[in-house]
Amino acid sequence: MRLLIIEDEHGIAGFLKDGLEEEYFAVDIAYDGKNGLDLAMTNDYDLIIIDWMIPAISGIEVCRQIRKAGSAVPIMFLTAKDTLEDVLFGLDAGANDYIKKPFAFEELLARIRVQLRNKNQSDDSLSAGPLEINPATHQAFCNSSEMTLTPKEFSLLEYLIRNKDKVCTRSRIIEHVWDIHFDSDTSVIDVYITFLRRKLENAGCGNLIQTIRGVGYIIRES
Amino acid sequence: MNTMKTDAKDALRNTSILLKKWSRMSLRNRIAFYYTIATAFLLALIFTILFFMVESMVYKQFDDEVNNEVSEIFADAHVTSHDFTSFSRFTNCIDDKEINFNETKHEEKGPAKIDTEFIQLVNTQGQVINKSVNLARNVLIFKPRETKTIYFNSTINNSTIHQGQLPLFNRDGIIKGYLIVAVPMKKAIIVLNDLQNVFLFSFPGIILTLFVLTRLIAGKSIRPIEKVITTAEKITHTNLIHRIELPYHQDELYRLSATINTLLDRMQEAFQREKQFTADASHELKTPLAVVKGTLEVLVRKPREKEHYETKIQFCLKELNRMASLIDQLLMLARYESKKMNPHREGVMLSVALETVTVRLFPIALEKEIKFNIEGQEKATVTTDPAMLEIMLENILSNAIKYSPARSVITITVEQKEKYMMCSITDQGIGIPEEKLTAVFERFYRVDESRNSSTGGFGLGLSIVKRLADLQQIKISVNSVKNIGTTFTLIFPSSIPVNPVPQKRVTA
Repeated sequence: MRLLIIEDEHGIAGFLKDGLEEEYFAVDIAYDGKNGLDLAMTNDYDLIIIDWMIPAISGIEVCRQIRKAGSAVPIMFLTAKDTLEDVLFGLDAGANDYIKKPFAFEELLARIRVQLRNKNQSDDSLSAGPLEINPATHQAFCNSSEMTLTPKEFSLLEYLIRNKDKVCTRSRIIEHVWDIHFDSDTSVIDVYITFLRRKLENAGCGNLIQTIRGVGYIIRES
Repeated sequence: MNTMKTDAKDALRNTSILLKKWSRMSLRNRIAFYYTIATAFLLALIFTILFFMVESMVYKQFDDEVNNEVSEIFADAHVTSHDFTSFSRFTNCIDDKEINFNETKHEEKGPAKIDTEFIQLVNTQGQVINKSVNLARNVLIFKPRETKTIYFNSTINNSTIHQGQLPLFNRDGIIKGYLIVAVPMKKAIIVLNDLQNVFLFSFPGIILTLFVLTRLIAGKSIRPIEKVITTAEKITHTNLIHRIELPYHQDELYRLSATINTLLDRMQEAFQREKQFTADASHELKTPLAVVKGTLEVLVRKPREKEHYETKIQFCLKELNRMASLIDQLLMLARYESKKMNPHREGVMLSVALETVTVRLFPIALEKEIKFNIEGQEKATVTTDPAMLEIMLENILSNAIKYSPARSVITITVEQKEKYMMCSITDQGIGIPEEKLTAVFERFYRVDESRNSSTGGFGLGLSIVKRLADLQQIKISVNSVKNIGTTFTLIFPSSIPVNPVPQKRVTA
C-alpha cells in the first residue's frame, strides 16, 4: 500500500515515514502543497495524508484539486486546527477523515486501515481461497497455519489479495508496493514473486499466484 | 399606624412604577411629550397675552368713550375740571340729555336703562348730588379720596359698565366733588367672553393635535434608529458581518450609523486577530508536541539500535527546547499585554545596554561570522526601563542575525536629534517586501510564509518588541530594501532628566 504524506513540518513527516514504513507501507513525502499536488496527480496512491497549513497551496485546496480531478483516493487531514467549524470545513472539502495534532500514532494507523478497508469488509483480514492475511497484525495464514513473510513479500501479497480477480500490472505493483525512490526496474517484482510462490507452496497454497504473460500477476478466489 | 405605613408603601410603589413607565417610554413618545409641553406653555402664554391685549384695547376704547362724554358735559356746562364752582351748573347738561332728575321719579321703579351712558355727581362725602334719570334707583359706585381720574368696571343690574370718576377742583385746587360717567359694556363683554372661550376650547384641541402630529413626525424621523436596532440585534460576537445601512440624509443618524459601522469593523478585526492568534498559538504549540509524541511512539514500537535511540532523543530534545522558548515568548507577550505594566524608568546609557545584548548574542553571531558595528555617541542616555530595553534590543538584533548572510555586518547607530534620541539597527540581510512591512509586528507573523522551523523563529519577537515600545512610548519603525537590508529605528521620548544609574558592565 502506497501513501502520500503532504506535511511541511519535517519532524512530523519524518516520524510518519519511519513508522508507516515499519508497517510495510510505501511512503512518499511532499513538503509543500504544490509538490504534493503534483505527486498526487501523477501517481496512483492508496491513501493521502495532508496537513492543512502547508506552504504554496493549502491542504484544503490540494484536497479540492484532487477531488476535482475525479480521484476517489481516501484523504486524511492532519492538522492542529481543532474547532468544529474547521473539522466540518475539512470534511466538506472532500476529506474522508480528520485527525487532530497531537495524535497517537496507533490511532493514525487504525484510521488508515479503516480507510483502506474494502467497502463490504467487516474487519481487517483479507482472504483468497485457503489464504488469509491480516494487515493489522502482519500475519499471513495458509489453511490456518501461519507463514513467515518479509515486509516486502507481505506488502506484495497484500496488494495482490486486495486486488484479487484483477490483473495487477507490473507498473501498478511497483507504484503501490514500492515508494517513489525506487527506480523503475520491474524485474525486482519477479524476484519477490518467486520468493512468495516458494513460501506459499511450502505452506500448501501453491499455484495461487498466476502469471499473465507480458502483463503482470493475478490471484484468483477459486 | 399600619394602614398609614401601607399607604406610604403604596404611594412609594406607585411612584416607582410611574418612574419605571417613564423611563421605558419610547423615544418617539418622549419627543412628542416634551415638544407638546413646551408648545402648550408657549401657546398658553401667547393666548394670555393676546387676551389681555385685546381686553386693554377694549378698555382703552371705553375710557375714550367716557372721556368724550365728560368733555361733552364740560362743554355743555361751560366749565372745566379746574374751575368748579357749584353742582348746579351741571344740572342743565344733565337735563340736556333729556334725563331729568325729576322725571325719573315716574320711572323710579323701572330698571335702569343700561344701553346709554350714566352720569352722577357726587360731593366729597360721597352724597349723590345729581344723577341721570336712566339710573333710576341705582347709584354708581363711588371711590372716595381719589385725586385723579380713575377708570374701573362695575355692575349695575347685573350688567357690566365701565366707569370714569373725575375729581372736580375749585380754582384753589381743592376737590369739591366728583363727576362719575359710566358707559355700558355689554357687547364688549360678549366679545371678550367669546374670545376667552375660543382660547380655552381651542387650547386642548391644538395641544392634542400637536401631540399626535409630533408623535407621527418623530416616529418617522427616528425610523432609521429602528433599523440600527434591528441590525445591531443581529450582531453577536460570532456574527459580525452585518453592517447598518447608511441613511440617505447625511445627518446625525448617518453619522451614528457610520460610527457604529466603523466600530464593528474594528471589532471584527480585533476578533479576527484574536482568532488568528489562537489558531497560530495552537498550531505552534501542538506541532512540536505532535512531533515529539509521534517520534517517541514510533521509537518504542520496536527494539532499535542504541544510535537510533540517541538520534531520536536528541531530536526530541531540540523540539522540546523550541517549545519551551515558544512558551516563554507567549508568556512574556501575555504578561505585557494583559495589564497596564508600569515600566520602571530610569536613565540608561544606550551604549551599555547595547554592549550587554551584543555580548549575549556573540555566540550565535560568531557562528555566521557576523560583526556588530556600533556607531555614534558613547554617552547617549535615554530614560527607559533597562530590562525592557534589553529584551527589545535582543529581539531586534537576534532577528537581524537570523536573516543576515554569513560574514556580514550589523550596524547600530545612536544619534542625538534635536528633541529625541534615535537608535537604528541595520542589517545586510534579505530584506522584507514593502507590502509586508506593516505586518511584521503582528503576532506569529513571519515574512517567510512556510512557517517551517528552518529559521527557528515563531514570529513573536517583534510583537514583543512592539508591545514593549508602546509601553515605554518608544516609537519604532522599520524600513527595508530587498536584498540590501532592513533598518529598525527606535525613537526614544525626549528624556526626562534623570541621573544615569551606572549599570553593571558585562565583559566578553
